[in-house]
Amino acid sequence: MKHLLLGNEAIAYGALSAGVAVAAGYPGTPSSEIIETLLEFKDRKVYWASNEKTAVELAYGAALAGARALAAMKHVGLNVAADPFHSAAYTGVVGGLLIVTADDPHMWSSQNEQDTRWYGLQSYIPVLEPSEPQEAFKMAKDGLALSESLEHPVLLRSTTRVSHVRAPVVVEPPAPPKFGKFSRDVERYVLVPQNARRRRADVLRKWELLKDFSARFMSVEGEGDVTVVASGVGYLYAVEALERLGVKARIVKIGMSVPLSKKVVDVVTDEVVVVEEGDPVVETQLRVMGIKTKGKIDGFFPQSGELSLRAVVEGLSKALGLGVKLADPAKPTLQPPPRPPYLCPGCPHMGTFYALKLAGAGQKVVWSGDIGCYTLGINTGQQDLATHMGSSIGLGMGIALSDREKLVVATIGDSTFYHAALPQLIDLKTKKIPLVLVVMDNEYTAMTGGQPSPSRAVPAERLMEAIGIKHYVIDPVDVKRSVEVAKRAIAEAKSGEPVALISRRPCVLEALRAARRSGFKPPKYYVVSDRCRSCGICYNLLKCYAITKLPDGKAWIDPSLCNGCSMCAQVCPYDAIKPAEPDKVSKWLELWSQA
Amino acid sequence: MVTSIVIVGVGGQGVMTLARWLGRAAVAAGYDVKIAEVHGLSQRGGSVEVHVRIGERVYAPVVSEGDADYVVAMEAIEALRAFRYLKEEALFVVNKRIIQVPGKYVDPEQVYRALAVHKGLRLVPAFELALKIGDPIYENSVLLGYVAKLLRLDGFVDWLDEKNLRAFEEGRRLASAL
Repeated sequence: MKHLLLGNEAIAYGALSAGVAVAAGYPGTPSSEIIETLLEFKDRKVYWASNEKTAVELAYGAALAGARALAAMKHVGLNVAADPFHSAAYTGVVGGLLIVTADDPHMWSSQNEQDTRWYGLQSYIPVLEPSEPQEAFKMAKDGLALSESLEHPVLLRSTTRVSHVRAPVVVEPPAPPKFGKFSRDVERYVLVPQNARRRRADVLRKWELLKDFSARFMSVEGEGDVTVVASGVGYLYAVEALERLGVKARIVKIGMSVPLSKKVVDVVTDEVVVVEEGDPVVETQLRVMGIKTKGKIDGFFPQSGELSLRAVVEGLSKALGLGVKLADPAKPTLQPPPRPPYLCPGCPHMGTFYALKLAGAGQKVVWSGDIGCYTLGINTGQQDLATHMGSSIGLGMGIALSDREKLVVATIGDSTFYHAALPQLIDLKTKKIPLVLVVMDNEYTAMTGGQPSPSRAVPAERLMEAIGIKHYVIDPVDVKRSVEVAKRAIAEAKSGEPVALISRRPCVLEALRAARRSGFKPPKYYVVSDRCRSCGICYNLLKCYAITKLPDGKAWIDPSLCNGCSMCAQVCPYDAIKPAEPDKVSKWLELWSQA
Repeated sequence: MVTSIVIVGVGGQGVMTLARWLGRAAVAAGYDVKIAEVHGLSQRGGSVEVHVRIGERVYAPVVSEGDADYVVAMEAIEALRAFRYLKEEALFVVNKRIIQVPGKYVDPEQVYRALAVHKGLRLVPAFELALKIGDPIYENSVLLGYVAKLLRLDGFVDWLDEKNLRAFEEGRRLASAL
């Protein structure tokens, strides 16, 4: 039976059919559906971890104890987990350890374009690279078995066009979970230098073995004077592009792209064209083997962004000297305005940013941001930097120390706060660095689809109390009070102490889902046109995308978008915004706060 | 032969659902399918784009510019943005509906005129029909019916609920009138 599965779902089913028993991950596009799928299986131990490091550690420990285990994350997450990842290669594992990373070329929802296959070369961990969901299923399954048989971790590297592609997949039923027992082996597991040096020699020996082993994941298809080496989704583009160009070629399909099989030299002609997604990882290894290549290094295929059929057709044409040039795409006579992402109508972060903007007015503020929905504070000019998970408070402390004239307001969502800000919180206190830390607690990891965040089990104010940081809790939908408290926090931080503001209200989308289930429809707001004086506070300062500025400057609320948060009605100085069903207002705010 | 379809709209409109429904029907009909979900930043209100390719064997998951046999737009400003995907002979199915970009009001008539440059334009009153059925969320079912008719795909009736089915039939009816 064929199921229409997302690549990520296929990875989960592959791991299940290999008897995965323990799995953990941190949500991040395009990887989140792997853990989400596994969570459905109650006979396994599956968790959303606080961050990727703890996720990898959990799976690594389980695999040391003989279980089959998986850790999943997006590409940048592997940076967070890089420490245990590298040690895992040295100790090896007993059960199976499959680490899955989903790379995001073109940075559809990421801060950088990173090819995690380099981590394979750097850590001596082999990398499997599926091209489509069916193969993702198989490689997840084989990867766990391979890891166990080699006693070595395996990295499964997916990309957006594998993880987020839906295609028919034949799945095998889940196998019973394989747990294990820990056996003491101090020389192997305690990486003091003396032991680690011995292990290093073992790792290098294993790596040579893997270079032979890698051939099992290599296949040669077709006949022709031309040879194309392709991996991952690059293989799919190569097949279709060659067909379009009418070129007969031999295609060497690479399934294990790190380490590249020694046997490549047996099948390649004097020159090959390399098609791969991301950096020239396969190509670099081919060159080290002395093979002449045309790929990304000399610019036949673009070095940034995703591959596309167009790019591969043009690249192959150039590499093979065919002179094919594709026609330029059609252009409309009217250029559509860009539609940058906005915070959802009713998003509590909208209220938090509004309160901070008013409280910080007339003062020199550095808005130190972070990675999450609230990075969209960029739309209201309240995001001066956002570079990585935890950057708000981490970089914010450095800025506060060097620029004494400005006040740093560090904004961070709850999931990111627990992921990457707790050690910084301790530094903030012990170094007494004056800044305003704003924990925007919507009680979910909202950006990746509403995974639970630790904020309910471990409320941020409890951590502030324990560490001894002065703090206030506000409800961002209560605009007036939020502004007052934010003003107080800013004044106190300016007098020289760190102050935290915990702004708490659940993600409106989660609340809407719950309301829909119970049959409740939130009230919609509308603009009383006669009263509207076109001041623009609602659409310029609040930046709710349900509110449109009409040609005469008046506001109009799209009823199909309004989520009834009431914030626009609160900020309107002319009392021109009203709920269509006033009797529903308090009930909705109450239901919402419990979502 | 592979049929390439690009579906666009605004986050929250159900673009992904529409694509998934089409894919499900194609698999039921025995085809290979690839659906590539271009989420953007995963938030509501942004441009959303999903590519569906249907055929005996589908390789590339993403449709290239100038390569789409069908472009289906759930919103007209997004239709303008998807213009680049249109093949010359492509059918361009556009929901007659504008979701304004905050602060950048565009005149709807101007948008529809610009879209009409493509001779395969089909403006479909899906939003209007959905409102008649009772909720804007049914607009994707109207469009599904419309596209299903064009693609000669069948077998949706088993799993669409009553109101979605009504919307679906409205869409089919509109496409039959072509």
